[in-house]
Amino acid sequence: MRQIVKHRQCQADAWSMPGEAAAAAGVVVSLADYLAVQAGTLASPAPAGAALGVQLEPADDEAQLLPFAAQLQLVVVNFPKSAEGRGYTQGRMLRERYGYCGELRAAGAVLLDQVFLLARCGFDAFDMAPGENLTLAAAELDRFSVAYQTVVGTVVQPHRRGQVG
Amino acid sequence: MYRYDTLDHTLVAERVAQFRDQTQRFLAGQLSEDEFKPLRLRNGLYIQTHAPMLRVAVPYGLLSTRQVRMLAHLARKYDRGYGHFTTRQNIQYNWPKLEEVPDMLADLATVEMHAIQTSGNCIRNTTADHFAGIAPDEIDDPRPYCEIIRQWSTLHPEFNYLPRKFKIAVTGSPADRAASQVHDIGLHLRRGPDGQIGFEVLVGGGLGRTPIIGKVIRDFLPREHLLSYLEAVLRVYNRAGRRDNIYKARIKILVKAMGEEAFRAAVEQEWALIRDTALLLDVVEIDRMRKYFRPLPYEKLPDIDVTAGREAAFVAWYRHNTRVHKVSGYRAVMVSLKTPGIAPGDMTAEQMDGLADLADRISSGEVRSTHDQNLVLGEVRQQDLYETWQRLTALGLATANIGTLADMICCPGLDFCSLANASSISIAHQITERFSDIDYLYDLGPLEIKMSGCMNACGHHHVGHIGILGVDKHGEEWYQITIGGSASGDSSLGEVIGPSVAKLEVANTLAALLDVYVSIREEDETFLQVVRRVGVTPFRERVYAPNR
Repeated sequence: MRQIVKHRQCQADAWSMPGEAAAAAGVVVSLADYLAVQAGTLASPAPAGAALGVQLEPADDEAQLLPFAAQLQLVVVNFPKSAEGRGYTQGRMLRERYGYCGELRAAGAVLLDQVFLLARCGFDAFDMAPGENLTLAAAELDRFSVAYQTVVGTVVQPHRRGQVG
Repeated sequence: MYRYDTLDHTLVAERVAQFRDQTQRFLAGQLSEDEFKPLRLRNGLYIQTHAPMLRVAVPYGLLSTRQVRMLAHLARKYDRGYGHFTTRQNIQYNWPKLEEVPDMLADLATVEMHAIQTSGNCIRNTTADHFAGIAPDEIDDPRPYCEIIRQWSTLHPEFNYLPRKFKIAVTGSPADRAASQVHDIGLHLRRGPDGQIGFEVLVGGGLGRTPIIGKVIRDFLPREHLLSYLEAVLRVYNRAGRRDNIYKARIKILVKAMGEEAFRAAVEQEWALIRDTALLLDVVEIDRMRKYFRPLPYEKLPDIDVTAGREAAFVAWYRHNTRVHKVSGYRAVMVSLKTPGIAPGDMTAEQMDGLADLADRISSGEVRSTHDQNLVLGEVRQQDLYETWQRLTALGLATANIGTLADMICCPGLDFCSLANASSISIAHQITERFSDIDYLYDLGPLEIKMSGCMNACGHHHVGHIGILGVDKHGEEWYQITIGGSASGDSSLGEVIGPSVAKLEVANTLAALLDVYVSIREEDETFLQVVRRVGVTPFRERVYAPNR
């Protein structure tokens, strides 16, 4: 079973990804399939009682998930290459603009040295690239104790920190 | 100047620890060359022809003397006794050992310096006018805004994996001394309709393979919206910029592909959603930042004639290497890093220490770096200029050639850089040898020669009055010449005069171009003005004349 880092812990993944046999807990499909299921033009591939999640590719527009943000439990953002940067924007927008509160998972070519910035963009789960050490990846979430930018989850607005002390 | 607080110190210290860990994992074989590359680049570390090269950030070109002494220390301890100032106000070390780079960064952190994002596909060091705060025609000092941008862009979580590198320059004067029109974003401080301060915003300028002058996408942006607007531009670029072809990935290509209007509309649409969020800067925060750059308590001094009765060498230096200051009784002093026989921008550890001592004694304890690879002492009393000249002369930093042909911009070229097609430094030497008569250089007037060893245009050749580009022709080094470029307020891109010339012919070609100029100039016309008046043809005809 696939191991991921989720909520700072290494754990087994209960979901199936596109192309995999449907898992009992939840099934992740492409954005096109997800929208088709919601529109009623495609039968949901999820078994009865299983949740339906969605996987975004870099060129996908996450704004299309806005109507479903409250009901979605898992959004997977795929990084086909480690240099791919669009997913950072997708994650941030889902959290900050569309109010998505479910699991936000970075998957694909996700490297150890990227999880800190991904977490700052709102990701709380990481399906790491093959060969990456999950324990070390979880530890990377504490790499920096400070930051300059006001992003999701930041309490202090750092560029105004002169006012707050 | 800006001083780190606890947050800044903590962030830089944690960044050093992170890079030390990354370096150790690479040396231990846990990271491959390919995996380590984007990590080291985000810390300014290149693997070059001979050794790693470390590029250290000099935010908006401002250094304290304490920092200059640390740069000297690094040159001595980890390098071969010198450093190289770049066209983006940074400094590079060409001979460090990879395993010692974390120690260099730790040393830099003690003086509030770092190498964060001096390379890689992220937001680079923000550059500024080297006369910021002292230029008489300045609308506002750009440096407080640069520091706000520095902090915002440092480890920005969303914009660390952009399609390509991203460079921002800010100017506060109508005269553009920061080449802002050839940056991904150029910000020009302006006064708005009601007298409030803000920015004209240019996007999509750049050199490289596709040289383009930036387009104005907003005439006036009130300054409190600086970060939200930058974030909107970056978000549009991060989403839509091309990632399939490294040569088409800069924002200039996106602006061109979308069209100026569509790009502007996309930015404005995004900006409308974020302009009044936490990114809004309030006047308290801006003023807090401005206080770090407050003007000196200037003495009340009259302007004096410092040249009367002085030797010709001093008078020439005064005329060419000092500039007007907004406060009477003061001058800005250009420290020439264009000594004949030395690579442009190179400076030894001894020169750095000597200059730091001088800046402490007669200036403000600060040194500025310029985008044309010189340094500036910004606050020199006119009565101290003679002593300044003597001391700079003793340090080998008083060559009276600022603004002349000998004040060339030059990239490291094939001698150091693994990207280069051809050498630049040897061509600079060839040119300074050929044109060693300083009176001839003075007669030629203002002349900017800019030279790059490859298409990446680190030497800004497209915007040189005379541009020189090294090209590889069947394994030989050849040079393409352009004329008529400029990076000043009236920016323009140079035009190619014809087929590239052989390595040994570069200086001779320049001589032919200058002969044409001297023979057809009218009164005080500069080289650039003549090229703009008559075009390329007379120059081309002379250079490629069969009997030349």
